[in-house]
Amino acid sequence: MGWLTDTLILLPFGAALLVWALPAFIPRVWVGGAAFFFSLLEVGFWIWTVGRYNFGAANLQETSRLTWFSEFGISYHVGFYGYTLWLSGLGVIGMAAATGYGLWAGRDRPRAYFGLMLFLTGAVVGVFAAQDLLLFYVFWEAMLIPLYVLIGVWGGPGRMQATIKFVIYTMAGSLLMLASVIAYGLTQGSFDLVHGHSESVWIFLGFAAGFAVKAPLWPLHGWLPDAYRESPPEVAGVLSGVISKAATYGFLFIAIAHFGRPVSDLRAPILVLAAIGLVYGSLLAFRAPDIRGVIAYSSLAQMGLITLGLFATNVAGLNGAVLQMVNHGLISMTLFLLAGAVERRAATGQLDRLGGMAKGRPVLATVLMATGIIALAVPGSSAFAGEFLILTGVFPHGWGYAVVGGIAIVLAAMYMLRLISAVLHRSPAPQTEDARDLRPGELALFVPLLLCLLALSAWPAGITDRTFGQNSQTPALQSIR
Amino acid sequence: MIAASWICLFLPLGAAMLITLGGTKLSRRGAGYLATLACFGSFAAAVVTFLKMLDRVPSNRTAYSTAWRWATAGNLDFGLRILTDPLAIMMMLIVSGVGALIVAYSIGYMDGDDEERRYFAYISLFVFSMLLLVQSGNLLILLAGWGLVGLCSYLLIGYNHERPAAVAAAKKAFIMNAFGDATMALGFFLLIQRTGSLDFETVFGQAGAIGTASINLVALGLLGGAVAKSAQLPLQTWLPDAMEGPTPVSALIHAATMVTAGVYLICRAHPIFEAAPHVQELAAGLGAATLVMAGLIALVQTDIKRVIAYSTMSQIGYMFLGAGLTAYANAMFHLMTHAFFKALLFMGAGIIIHALGGEQDMRKMGGLRQLMPKTSLAMLVGALALVGIPPFAGFFSKDSILAAALARGWYGVILWIAGMVGAFLTGLYTFRMLFIVFGGEPSAYVQEHPPHDPAGRIPRLALALPVAALAVLATVGGWLQFAGVWHPVTTFLDPVVKSIAATNTQETVSSIAAVVLGALGIGVAWWIYGAKKEAPPKTSPILEHKFYFDEVYDALFYRPAVGMTRLLRGGFEGPIVLGGVNGVAGTIGALAGRVRRLQTGLVRTYVLAVAASMAVLTVVFLSVR
Repeated sequence: MGWLTDTLILLPFGAALLVWALPAFIPRVWVGGAAFFFSLLEVGFWIWTVGRYNFGAANLQETSRLTWFSEFGISYHVGFYGYTLWLSGLGVIGMAAATGYGLWAGRDRPRAYFGLMLFLTGAVVGVFAAQDLLLFYVFWEAMLIPLYVLIGVWGGPGRMQATIKFVIYTMAGSLLMLASVIAYGLTQGSFDLVHGHSESVWIFLGFAAGFAVKAPLWPLHGWLPDAYRESPPEVAGVLSGVISKAATYGFLFIAIAHFGRPVSDLRAPILVLAAIGLVYGSLLAFRAPDIRGVIAYSSLAQMGLITLGLFATNVAGLNGAVLQMVNHGLISMTLFLLAGAVERRAATGQLDRLGGMAKGRPVLATVLMATGIIALAVPGSSAFAGEFLILTGVFPHGWGYAVVGGIAIVLAAMYMLRLISAVLHRSPAPQTEDARDLRPGELALFVPLLLCLLALSAWPAGITDRTFGQNSQTPALQSIR
Repeated sequence: MIAASWICLFLPLGAAMLITLGGTKLSRRGAGYLATLACFGSFAAAVVTFLKMLDRVPSNRTAYSTAWRWATAGNLDFGLRILTDPLAIMMMLIVSGVGALIVAYSIGYMDGDDEERRYFAYISLFVFSMLLLVQSGNLLILLAGWGLVGLCSYLLIGYNHERPAAVAAAKKAFIMNAFGDATMALGFFLLIQRTGSLDFETVFGQAGAIGTASINLVALGLLGGAVAKSAQLPLQTWLPDAMEGPTPVSALIHAATMVTAGVYLICRAHPIFEAAPHVQELAAGLGAATLVMAGLIALVQTDIKRVIAYSTMSQIGYMFLGAGLTAYANAMFHLMTHAFFKALLFMGAGIIIHALGGEQDMRKMGGLRQLMPKTSLAMLVGALALVGIPPFAGFFSKDSILAAALARGWYGVILWIAGMVGAFLTGLYTFRMLFIVFGGEPSAYVQEHPPHDPAGRIPRLALALPVAALAVLATVGGWLQFAGVWHPVTTFLDPVVKSIAATNTQETVSSIAAVVLGALGIGVAWWIYGAKKEAPPKTSPILEHKFYFDEVYDALFYRPAVGMTRLLRGGFEGPIVLGGVNGVAGTIGALAGRVRRLQTGLVRTYVLAVAASMAVLTVVFLSVR
C-alpha cells in the first residue's frame, strides 16, 4: 500500500544511477533532458499521491515498513502525514524547477551534475517521509553531501571559501544531531518516530542545533551569505527554498513533536532568537548590495518567522508555519532563478549597476514584480495568509512577538520594493541596456512556479485545511498539548 | 441580489487577467475598451443589486455569502466572504460608477502611451481590489482588499517607472500604508484572541464585551490603518507625492475611492469605535487637524495637482470629523459628493495638463478661460461644489457634517470652529487656483504652447464625456439629501449605522456660516489673485516644508534604521558571524590549497569527507552492537 511512497523515494535515486551510468558521448542536452524528465515524472507521482491521500484523517498514510535491525528497533519505515506531503511536494517541484534551470543553463559535466540533482531529490523526499530516526539521519546526510559538491564544483569564483564554510557549519550541526539520534535511540530502545517521547533537554538541544544551523536561524547563519551568493542560482534556490524547509520540518516533526517538555521550557528563548532573526535579516536585506544578498537575508528573516509559528505550538501557528514553508520555498526558488536570469543578462548582480529592465521587457518585469509582491506578503497573497496565521498563533505568547512581526511587515515592503526598483525601474544602466526579455525556456519554469503561488493566494486553505487532519490530532499536535 | 454582487466584484478582475494574458494580441485601444466595459458591467451589476435590495424591507437588507474557506487553522475559519448591505452597496455604486467614468476618461488620457495595456490591467485590478475592500464580509478579506488597493496604488503611482521621482513616491506610499496594514493586523490578532473570529457579525457583536483596554487597542489599530490609507495626520505625507501618477489615477485612487476607505472603515467598524469612544473622538480630532493643516499647505502649492491633492486631504478630514462624531451618514454622503466633484476637478486639471503637453506648474499657466472655455466651466462647477456654494453638491454634504459637530457638546464646538476655518481656506485656495490658471490674459508660456486637443475623435470624446457627466453629478448630486428637509441617504443607511441627528437650528447656523466663510475665501482670492489689488503674501517656510513632517520622519525612522543596519553589518555580521568562520575556513582553505593542485580534487575531498563520516557511523554501530 505504500508503494507510491517507495516510488517517490527510490525513483530519483534510480534515475541518478542511470544518469551517472550514461556513456560519456551522450550530448549534454540529452543527459539534462533525461534528468528533467525524471524529475517531472516524480512530480507526477507526487500529484498521484495527493489524489489518493485522505486528508480528513490525521494518521500516517501511504506507509511502507521493512525491519532492518530488529534488536535496535531500526527499520525502513516511511509514510506521509498531510503536512509532510505538502512539504515533499515543495521538494519535488522545487527540485524539478532547479533541474530544469540547470538544463536550460547548460551546466558542464552534465552526468555528474544531473545525477547529483536527482540524488538530492530522492534524499529530500526521504527526509520528509522517514519515520525512523536513523533513516531520517541517513537521508539528512545524503541530502547534504550532493550540496557540498554542487556548490564546490559549479559555484561562482568564491566557491571554495563558501563551500568550506558550509561544510564546517553543517558538519558541526550534523555531528550534534548524530549524537542526539544515538542518544534518543538508546534511551527509547527504538528509533521509531511514530511513537516515543523524550523529556531530555540535552537531546532536544542537539537536534535543535542541527536544525538551527541548517535553516539557518540567527546567529548561526555565518555560512549563508557566501553559500547563497556563490552557488549556481538554482542550487541557491534549492538551499533556501527546499533544504531550509527540511530543517524547519525537523524542528516540527522531531524537536517539537517528540520533546513536549523541553519545548515549553525553552520556548521563550527560542522565540526571542527567532524574533531577533526576523528583524535582523530584514534590516540586512534592506541594505544588501546585490540581488542575492537581499534574497539571502530575507530568507534568514523568513526562517525566523517560520520558527515563531512553529514554537507557538498551537493550531494557528503550526498551520501558518507549514503554509509559509511552502510559500517561502516557492518564492525563494523563483527569486533565485530570477536572480540567475538577471545575472546572466547583466553579468552582475550588484543593485547599483542594474536598473531599467522593465522597459521593453514586459515578461521579465511582470514575473519579477508578481513574485516580489507576493514575497513581501501583500495582504491577499498566500505569504500574507501564512504570516497572518503565524502571528495569530504567536500572539498569545506575548504581544511583543506580533509587534516585531508588524515591524517586519514594513521592513519586508522596504527591502523587496528596493530590490524590484533597483532591477526594473529608472533608466536602463549600461549593463542592462541590451538584455533580452525572458526566453520561452525560462518561462516554462517561471510560469508554473508563479501559478502555484497565485493558486495558493486564491486558496491558502487548500493547504491549511489539509495539514494535521480534521481535528488536528496528529501525534505532532497531541504530544505538545 | 447575491449573484449580482459577486458579478460586480469579479468583472474587473476578469478584465485585468484578460489584458495581462492577452499581451500584444490585444490592441492598446482594445485593452482600454475591455477595462471600461468591465467597469460599466460592474456598475450595472451594482445597480441591479441596489434595485433588488430596495425590494426588501429595510430590516432585511443584509446578506452574507461565502465563496470558499480562504485561510483556516483548526477552529479559525476566514472565508472569502462578502457582505451585501446598504453601506456596502452605496460604496459599490460609487466605486464602480465613478470608476467606470474615470477608466473611460483614461482611454483619452493615456492614448498614445507606450504601455497602455499595463495601465488598463493595473486600473482594472484596482477597481476589483477596491470592490473587494468595500464588499468584504470579514475583517481579513477587508484587509486583503485594503492591501491590494495599496498595491495598485503603488503600481500606478510608479507607472512611469523611468522617472526616479515617480518610483520614490510609489515606494513611499506603499511603505507608509504597510505601516497602517501592520497596525490593523495587530488589532486583528487581539480580536482573534478575544473573539475567535474576524467575521463582522461576531466581532461587532462582541465589541462591547472584550474589555476596555482591548477594544481601545483594537480601535487604535484600525485607526492606524485608516489614517494611513486616507492620508490623515500623522501618516499624510505620501499623498502629495502620489501625484506623480497619471492624472486619472489621481482622480480615481487618490481622490474618489481609495483614500476615502478610512472613512468607510470607521463607518463599517462603528461598533468597535463606539465601544472605544475616546479613540473615535481622536479620529474626529485628527480629521479636524488635518483639514486645517492641508488647507494651509494648499495655499502655497504651485503644482495644480498638488493643490487638488491637499484639498482632498482636507475634505477627507471633514469626513473623519463626521464619522468620528458618529455622523456616519453625513460622512458617507460627503464621501459620495466628494467623489463626484473631486474626480471632476482632477479630470479637468488632466485636460489642462494634457493640452499643455504635460505642464503642471500653475505659475506658467494663466488666461486659459479664453482658450478652454468648456474646461474652465467644468472646473468652476467642481470648485463651487468643493467650496460648498449652493446649489452645488458640497453645500449639502459638508454643512451637514458641521451641523452634526454642533450636536456633540464642547468638543464638537471646537471641531466645528476648525471646520469653519477650513471652509474659509477651501474658498481661498480653490479660487486662488482658478484665478491663477484661468484668469487674466494668456501667459507667456501659454502663448508659446497653445493648448491643443488630443488627436482623434475617440480620445476627445473619452476626455469630454466623463467630465461632462461628473459636472452634472457635482451639480445635482447633493440634492439627494437636504438635512432637515429630506434625508433618504440617512434613512437608507439607518439599518447599518445610526447617525447622530442635528437640530434644524444647528443646520441653519452651520450652513449660513460655512457659505459666508467660503464666499469670503473666494472674495479674498479674487482680491489678491483675480483683481490683483494686493501682492500675494510671502509664503512661509513652514508651509513650504509641509510642517516638516517628511524631515521629522526621515530623522526618526529612516535614518535610525539605516544607522542600525550599518551598525549591525559592521559591528556584528561582519566581524562576529562571518568573521569567526572565515578564520577557520581560511586555515583549512590554505591547507587544502597546498595539498592539491587539481580543481577536481575538491570533489575528492568531499567524497573523502563523506566516506569518513560514514565510517564513523559504522564504527558507532558496531561498537554499540
